[in-house]
Amino acid sequence: MVSTKTPAQLVFNGLLNENPIFRLALSMCPAVAISTTVMNGLMLGVAVLFVQVCSSCTIALIKDYIHPRIRIPTYTLTIATWVTVIDLVLSAYAPVAYKAMGIFIKLIVAFAIITMRLEVFASKNTVGKSFWDGIGMGLGFMFGMVTLGFFRELLGMGTLLGHDVLGFRPLLFFALPLAGFFCVGFMMAVFNYVELVFNRMKRKAG
Amino acid sequence: MRDILRITIGLTISCLIAALIMGSVFTVTDKAKKHNEQMDMQNTMLGLLGYSKSHPAPSDLALYPVYRYIIDEEGTKYLGYLVPVKKSEKQTYELLLIDLAGKLKRKYGLDLSPESAVQESERSGAMKKIVKPPNSFTYADSFIVATLGTKRLAYLLPGEFPGFKTFIKVMLALDPSFTIKGLDILEQEEDPGLGGEIVQDYFKNQFIDKSYEKMKTLKVVKKPLPEQYRRYLERGELKKGTLTSKQVEEIRKKYEDADIYALTGATISSQSVTSGIKGMVKKFAYRARRLDQVIDRQHIPVSF
Repeated sequence: MVSTKTPAQLVFNGLLNENPIFRLALSMCPAVAISTTVMNGLMLGVAVLFVQVCSSCTIALIKDYIHPRIRIPTYTLTIATWVTVIDLVLSAYAPVAYKAMGIFIKLIVAFAIITMRLEVFASKNTVGKSFWDGIGMGLGFMFGMVTLGFFRELLGMGTLLGHDVLGFRPLLFFALPLAGFFCVGFMMAVFNYVELVFNRMKRKAG
Repeated sequence: MRDILRITIGLTISCLIAALIMGSVFTVTDKAKKHNEQMDMQNTMLGLLGYSKSHPAPSDLALYPVYRYIIDEEGTKYLGYLVPVKKSEKQTYELLLIDLAGKLKRKYGLDLSPESAVQESERSGAMKKIVKPPNSFTYADSFIVATLGTKRLAYLLPGEFPGFKTFIKVMLALDPSFTIKGLDILEQEEDPGLGGEIVQDYFKNQFIDKSYEKMKTLKVVKKPLPEQYRRYLERGELKKGTLTSKQVEEIRKKYEDADIYALTGATISSQSVTSGIKGMVKKFAYRARRLDQVIDRQHIPVSF
């Protein structure tokens, strides 16, 4: 299925319609574990954006040479290569950034969202389209992580980006991993409700 | 059959390409990475001794690493300390073989410069020339002696112990009487927001100024951290002037013998750090005293 969407539509698609966390419910494990603070969420989001864009472009470039039976191992290999390259380059030439992002980058190899995007999109579309799809998915993931981080940091620790906002810790529970599931659930509800309202409006207009 | 062949060849080629890319990136970046790691370590060590960019280290500050090996000679175990020595104005290393009762068995001179001793491979190369099979050696750990002029300033000891989830890597600074002067958490994977708080000043600085005697009985208490103490512990982060130097001195006195206040929601992490550091200090003090005895008795010209 070749996509006929424009770049803007592709980015928008990743952010809202097919948001990796809230609509596709992929990569929940890291989403729940890492989104304890806004900063953590942002860092993982940036790392995923990088790897997603690089892997999408690579797969779109070599898609005609991959034997269909071994496409999944090839995707994993591509992601692992990019993760290693980014990890090594950052640690060598940007030690400050590496100190903040190092542990997040190594996590990415096993992310479902990236493999899934390569299978569904990059292996069937051109490099340009895959690039924009990668950007959209990466931004969507980042948006999800930062939103979750915002609520969990504010409610769990009373801080935002490390600055004390509330002056007290309202509910320590929100810093725990299981609260991540609650937050994801609530956000999914919000997304579904927005879709419902949007469709109703569309029907009325139509 | 043809499919199988194509799959095999395809997979092999993609693996080879990936290996080639990763390998070449590794060769290009390895040197810079190692350099960064060493600089990082250096900065951590200087930071623990209280030096920073705004307060640089004096020129007569020197750091001497000492490496500890376990040596198996004819079925008996010995401790092998690789200590830096000064011989006719040149820095080299000497291996001291100490038996379990604390007596020097033998010593060997090693052809090893301080620069190459940092590399694990160079060190074992030099060791292999001395400890020949069937005798064997295994690397145990290392510590660093910091000197200021001719005076011993501090011991820096890297170490690790199990935390709530994985191992916690730390670096500890002790003064010559084994009182803790600084603690830095280098690597940890505790729960962010809970056990992860062990890296925060208000937890790790509680260990500072705990004496060797106090460390023997140090406990973790589940009580809220007093606000005044918290401000004292975090004074490095806050703007200067919130606490006067007289107040700082007062609070230091007051909490000198206090136990460790546990982190909210992370009692196990707090306890593992406390017991881990207790163990490190206890073992190190014992070993350092033994080593010093040998060095004094045998008049070994150590650099520190």
